[in-house]
Amino acid sequence: MLDIRGLEKYAQDTIVFPAFDLTVERHEVTALYSSMNVRHTLLDMLTGRLAISSGEIRVNGMTLAEGGKAYLSQVGFLLLEEGTYENLSVKELLSFYKKLYHSVPKIEDVIRFVKLDTKANTRIHKLTLSEKRRVQYARLWIQDPEIFIFEEPDQNVDIETKTVFQRLVSHLNELSKAILILTGNMESAIGVTSRIYRLDEKGLKAYDIQESLMRDWEDGEKPSESTELEALHTEDNLSEVGDAPANARDSLSSDKDDELADDEVELGESPVIQFVRFEKIPTRMNDKMILFNPPEIDYIESFEGQTQLYINGDVYPSTFKINELEERLRTYGFFRCHRSYIVNLQKVREIVTFTRNSFSLILDDASRTSVPLSKTKMAELKDMMGLK
Amino acid sequence: MTFSMKRVTAILQKDYKDISRNLYVTTTLVLPLIMAVIFGRDGKSTLELIYMIINMGLVLVGTYVQASLIAEEKEKNTLRGLMLSPASTLEIFLGKNLLSFIATAVIVTGSILLMNYNPGHVPAVVIALVLSAIFYLGLGTLIGLMTKSVVEASVIIVPVMFVFSFISFMKPFMEKYPILTFIEYLPNMQMLDLAAQAQAGTGFGDVGSNLLIIVGWVVFIHILAVYVYKKRMVEE
Repeated sequence: MLDIRGLEKYAQDTIVFPAFDLTVERHEVTALYSSMNVRHTLLDMLTGRLAISSGEIRVNGMTLAEGGKAYLSQVGFLLLEEGTYENLSVKELLSFYKKLYHSVPKIEDVIRFVKLDTKANTRIHKLTLSEKRRVQYARLWIQDPEIFIFEEPDQNVDIETKTVFQRLVSHLNELSKAILILTGNMESAIGVTSRIYRLDEKGLKAYDIQESLMRDWEDGEKPSESTELEALHTEDNLSEVGDAPANARDSLSSDKDDELADDEVELGESPVIQFVRFEKIPTRMNDKMILFNPPEIDYIESFEGQTQLYINGDVYPSTFKINELEERLRTYGFFRCHRSYIVNLQKVREIVTFTRNSFSLILDDASRTSVPLSKTKMAELKDMMGLK
Repeated sequence: MTFSMKRVTAILQKDYKDISRNLYVTTTLVLPLIMAVIFGRDGKSTLELIYMIINMGLVLVGTYVQASLIAEEKEKNTLRGLMLSPASTLEIFLGKNLLSFIATAVIVTGSILLMNYNPGHVPAVVIALVLSAIFYLGLGTLIGLMTKSVVEASVIIVPVMFVFSFISFMKPFMEKYPILTFIEYLPNMQMLDLAAQAQAGTGFGDVGSNLLIIVGWVVFIHILAVYVYKKRMVEE
């Protein structure tokens, strides 16, 4: 449906985004996570406000220049800064768009779907921000394009509207529409899709969303369970600032709204660190943060609840729990060899059997460090190496 | 995309509902009618006075409503959405022009009736009025394209109204300063001239030149509007 080929944009000396390819097909929900600048540039290109210098955007095989209104009739936009005829009532506005687009969807059904049936005859300027946004969802649905492009669809809206949006997306998906969401908020992207890309000056990157995380996010969507999720995150926050209890207390006593906002940022940002293959493990030395590439690490020990990274014979305390480190490092060939040890398998030279039930791993470093290996983990390791 | 009357009427209806709830506009609309009542009651008003009020109606309704319709789309940031819709530029402007034209026709007819004005040669005067209305709509489009909000359009409309309503009282100055004779060719002056001839009971042949000049103005103002529109669209 929507086909972007080799599209790039330079503004004076800076790269807004280098050439990238992206295809959005029917039945697909794609989210593009990007900065505001990138988003505006891309939207201006899609709507033909900004000339495309290199690359092309095709809808059903035609560019805007070739297709004109035929191109535009295929694409529907929900823009963040879109104005509307505020003197009209919800129903009047929607019937205007229905006539304008000669479209099929029934106004009553759409109004009910976006939960505005009690406000159908209310003028739009009397509605709240969230309700106005729902009117926009309805308007876009009435337009009934083949490709739906949403810009920040659920920014600053209430939970009801977020739920409506998620239902809308899954409904449109069933109607075999193509959906593209442009957002700067990871949460709104993860809420509706697992096809998430990041677009910035380094290009287009796909996020690898793990299923378990997806489930977490989906749970979070339901208002009843969102508190649970929040609690979970507060806990995380606490453990992070665990070294400095004073800090923790400060942040707890700070304004509650702030706290929530922070949480939001946290929700949005933390997966970013996790999903990108490029990542470093932070450690704390006195006042400094030192970042290590996972392959540098020899092994990790957890001692009295404090994890320590062993690198070339030096010890660096880490702020993460051993379970978190195990999760983050698994893809780098790290192995949880013991309840309180994670070892970098690339650095293991020998596996020594002391007794029938006691094993040790000898590392390939100068001091031939030994790391304990528990019996159950020994079996797992053997399986991994294909031994019986 | 083919031309669709359904879209034109959709735009017309939408604009009617939207603009009729805008107090700035609705209060301005009744002004020519009030003027007609005040000046027209005695039934002895001069042709100049009658045409001052008719021209005021044309400017305040034709030009101002049209300008507000366009300026409001820009002010509320909805013009872009309309441009992205299947409605063509022609359909959008036709819908708006149609609404302004209907409003103008209603108000001007109303004020003529209130003033008990009886034009001698009805068809000639009606044709001239319709042509003038089209000219004022074009002028409104132009103002709408050049302003950013309804309030701004309301400000700009004041000098325009003065030029087209009160200039007929400048005739004495024209004899004094020959440089001002170009005023003679403004559409409102042509209208007045035509009306005077119609009153005197002449036929179509005598007012032909007046009509031709008004047609010239209509063509000129619409070409200008199209030019400004294209230029603005490139800028945005």
